[in-house]
Formats: sequence, C-alpha cells, structure tokens
Amino acid sequence: MLIQILNGLVYGTFLFAMASGLALMFGLRRIVNFAHGALYMLGAYFGYTAAKLAGFWGGLLVAALGLAVLGVALDILVFRPLRGRDPLTTLLVTFGLALISEDFIQTFWGNDTHSFAEPALLSGVVQLPGTTFPIYRLAIVAFGILVAGGLAFWLTRSKVGLYVRAASHDPVIAAVQGVDTDRLSALVVGVGAALAGMAGVVAAPILSISPAMAADILVDSFIVVVIGGLGSLGGAFAAALILGQINVLGVVFLPELTALLPFLLMMAVLIWRPTGLAGSRV
Amino acid sequence: MNAHAPVLAFEGVDAFYGAAHILHGVSFQVRAGESVAILGRNGVGKTTIVNTLLGIARHGAGAIRFHDRAIERPRPYQAARAGIGVALQGRKLFPNLSVRENLMLGAASNRAGAWTLDGVFDLFPVLRERAEAPGTALSGGQQQMLAIGRALMANPDLLVLDEPSEGLAPVIVDELAAVFGALNAKGTALLLIEQNLSLVERVSRRFAVLAKGRVVEEGSLDGIDRTSLQRHIAI
Ligand SMILES: Nc1ncnc2c1ncn2[C@@H]1O[C@H](COP(=O)(O)OP(=O)(O)OP(=O)(O)O)[C@@H](O)[C@H]1O
Ligand SMILES: [Mg+2]
Repeated sequence: MLIQILNGLVYGTFLFAMASGLALMFGLRRIVNFAHGALYMLGAYFGYTAAKLAGFWGGLLVAALGLAVLGVALDILVFRPLRGRDPLTTLLVTFGLALISEDFIQTFWGNDTHSFAEPALLSGVVQLPGTTFPIYRLAIVAFGILVAGGLAFWLTRSKVGLYVRAASHDPVIAAVQGVDTDRLSALVVGVGAALAGMAGVVAAPILSISPAMAADILVDSFIVVVIGGLGSLGGAFAAALILGQINVLGVVFLPELTALLPFLLMMAVLIWRPTGLAGSRV
Repeated sequence: MNAHAPVLAFEGVDAFYGAAHILHGVSFQVRAGESVAILGRNGVGKTTIVNTLLGIARHGAGAIRFHDRAIERPRPYQAARAGIGVALQGRKLFPNLSVRENLMLGAASNRAGAWTLDGVFDLFPVLRERAEAPGTALSGGQQQMLAIGRALMANPDLLVLDEPSEGLAPVIVDELAAVFGALNAKGTALLLIEQNLSLVERVSRRFAVLAKGRVVEEGSLDGIDRTSLQRHIAI
C-alpha cells in the first residue's frame, strides 16, 4: 500500500511538471497545445541521443535547452500568428504539429522502443518499513516538487512572474499596462516546452522511449489542467497529485475502471465546479 | 515642450472590429497640458477610440499621431511605453493581484518619472491601507482610484480616462474631479471620455461629441450652454 501511494506521488508530481507548462501556455496564449505531448517526446529523444555522448545529465541539459529554443520558435512562428483565431483552428494546427513531430521521430529514430538508463548517482533503492523503493523514483518526486517550488517562487516573487500572472488572467489588459506580451509569451512557451522536454528525459528510465509515448501523457496532462482550472498552477498541482493517486489506487481497488477513472473525475469536477478546482485564479 | 503642439491627434480615423465599421473619419486633437472631453451616448464608439489607439480595434484610413509620430498598427503594450496611460472603461483590475501588484504592473512600461508606488499611495492614501487586498476587493470608487493610479505608474504624458465616473457616487466623482484637475495642472494632458457633464465641465476646456462613430460637434466648454450638450449624452 505504501508503495502504491508512493508510486502515485511519483506519477502525480511528474504529471505536474508536464501539466504546468500546458497551463502556463494556455494562460498566455489561450491555446490548448495538442503538441505538448510531442514536446515531451522530442525532449526524451533529444536527451536519449545526447546522453549517449554526455550521460544522463548531459541529456537532461540538451533536452531542456533544445526544447526551450523549440518552444520560443513555436510561440513566434505558430502561436503568435494564431492569436485571436478560433479554438478549432489552433486545435487543428497544434494537432498537426504533434503528427509531424511523430513522423520526424520515426524518420530519424525509427519505431523501436529505446531504454534510457537512470544516472548512477540516483540508482539503487532505499529501505522502507518492510520493503524497498527505487531512489530514482524519489528523485522524480523531487523534480516535480522543484518545478512546482521554482515556478511558485518565480511567479510570486519576480517582476516577470507578476507579468505572467497578470497576462494569464487577461493578456490584453496586461499588455495595456505596458507588458510586452509577445516577448512574455515566447518566454513562457519556452519555459513550458523546456519543462516538457525535461519531463521526457526524467520519465524515460521508468517508462522507456517510443513514438507512442506522447499520447498517454498528453491525455493525463489535459485532465490535470482541466480539473485544476484552465491556466491555474495551484489547481494543476492539486489535480496532478489527485490523479497520481487515482491511477495507482484504481489499479488496486477498481481494476476494471482504472482507465476510465481520470475521465470520471474530470466529469465530476466539471459538473460540480465548471471552472475547475481553482476557478480562474492563477 | 511646445505648449500648443498636439500630444495626440486623430486625423480622419476609420476603425473596425472585424468587418464592423465603427469609427468614420474621426478627427480631434489633445494639445500638451490640455484636457479634452469626448462626449456621446452609449455605443457611439467612444471606447473604440481608445481601442484603436491601443491596437485592439483595427485602424483603417486616417492617421493617429502621438507627439507627431504616426502610430501605425500598434500593439497594446506600445501605448503605455510611448507615454499614454489608460484607465480603461470598467477599470479592468486584476482580481488575482493585490492592490500593490496591480500598481506595480502599471510600471511595466518602464518609464521613469515622478510617479512611483509611494507617489500613488500619497495621492490615494486608501490604496496604501488596502495595499495587500485583491484589486477587486475594493469599493467602486477605490477601484477607480486604483485604475487611475495604475495608469499613472506609467508616468504618462497623456492620461486617457474612459468613463471614470461610471457607477460612482457624486461625492467620489467630486474627489476624482479634484484629482484630474491637479494632474492636468501639473502638465499631464487628459483625454476624458465621459457622459457626466458636471465632471467634464470641471475638468476639460474643450470637447468633441461623437455620434454613430462621427464627430458631430466640437468646441470650447467655456460658457457653453449645458442643455445644448445634454442632448448628446445618455438621458
Ligand atoms: N469587440 C467588439 N466587436 C464588435 N463590435 C464591438 C466590439 N466592441 C464594441 N463593439 C460595437 O462597437 C460600437 C461602439 O462601441 P464602443 O464600445 O466604442 O461604444 P461607447 O461609445 O464606448 O459606448 P459606452 O458608452 O456604452 O461605453 C457598438 O455598437 C458596439 O456594439
Ligand atoms: Mg465605452
């Protein structure tokens, strides 16, 4: 049972690292980024290749930097021109980008599943009462908490963070105050993409890498963002932890329903509180 | 600065929301240190003047000049950076930011000048008392003060006020009138969009009346017959 709860925590905190980027992008661009899973997958593949030369940490760094650059380009070349377009257009465009990324991966890395070794520093297990738990999984929890803490600090303590919170509530009104929302969005989409890319590397040692990896994580990230309240990071954090627990406890108590539980939870929240756990607050 | 040089000039400006043609050849000027009022009934296009300046409404024919530089295809953040502070209609405060943060946001244009957080707190002491409250937890009058203070944080040469008296008690409007007068006396040009004639008369020397997206009357407010203006605004 303890193991299940811990695994739920691992998945929940990890999911937050993914969903936070999605929530931030939605806040600034009002775009639901169907390519977010593709960013995660690209991060994993970039990291995988870089790790062959520079080890796990080198791979993580390359994924973060590479995806940050890609994110900035995504905002400038795609999201900015789509500003003010109807949601269906942005949905189709980002979905198209996801498909293109998948093709790109298949072309250069093939269809095989790759495995990715955890770093030596974080290998091994810790002793828990009556059982053991992999250190690497605890490191994932630490990663998720670090992301959450870092974002919270950035958003509440810095000037740019203030602009992000304002623009997430209303990009146009924030711009009227003099916030260059074009540059701010490029930064935020870059940060969100870098987080997704790092999440791809972080997850690789336990989930393995394949061109199909994007879809599952995308769906769960969406559920987290919707349950948390679109664009809200605090809400997303709570939702990610809840979803993590539901995923593992569902397997134990309601095995037939596990795949459905996240959707049922999302429906319940949307009926009970249509704006999500955190409403529209950021 | 030349006292009579226009700070803001609209010259035959057309403006659109999508395909909807809202402003038709609108012309007016605000000169340095001057206070100009735009009057007109609901829905005639007053806010669209502000939105065109900000690049929220699409600017078609005609020219908009600020300090003699043409503003073409503006983005909303450029106005504040150029020196146009705007207190938007409906105040548009951020409920997720405190009073202090709402004000700090007003400094996002990075324009140095006399207005600082402390300066705004001195102008509206009640904002200092409520500094940590959410921006929208204030009374209507206090919210309007916050919206004005936020616009001042950009140290604007021109302050645009879109119906600042809307929904406020007369005693609060009196307070605002005094503040606007003092700001104008210190050299900040004002573009006051209003339907409250008594506020306009106290704050502005010149006016333009908008009807169906056109300027139909303009002139000096000195000695003007109030009833002749009354018919141009909401009953
Ligand atoms: N975003 C928009 N899209 C399309 N039409 C709009 C938009 N905003 C306003 N309009 C229309 O443009 C016209 C002018 O609106 P505007 O807001 O400029 O009027 P106003 O004079 O400021 O009115 P009020 O006194 O009520 O504030 C109105 O007919 C309005 O319905
Ligand atoms: Mg209006």
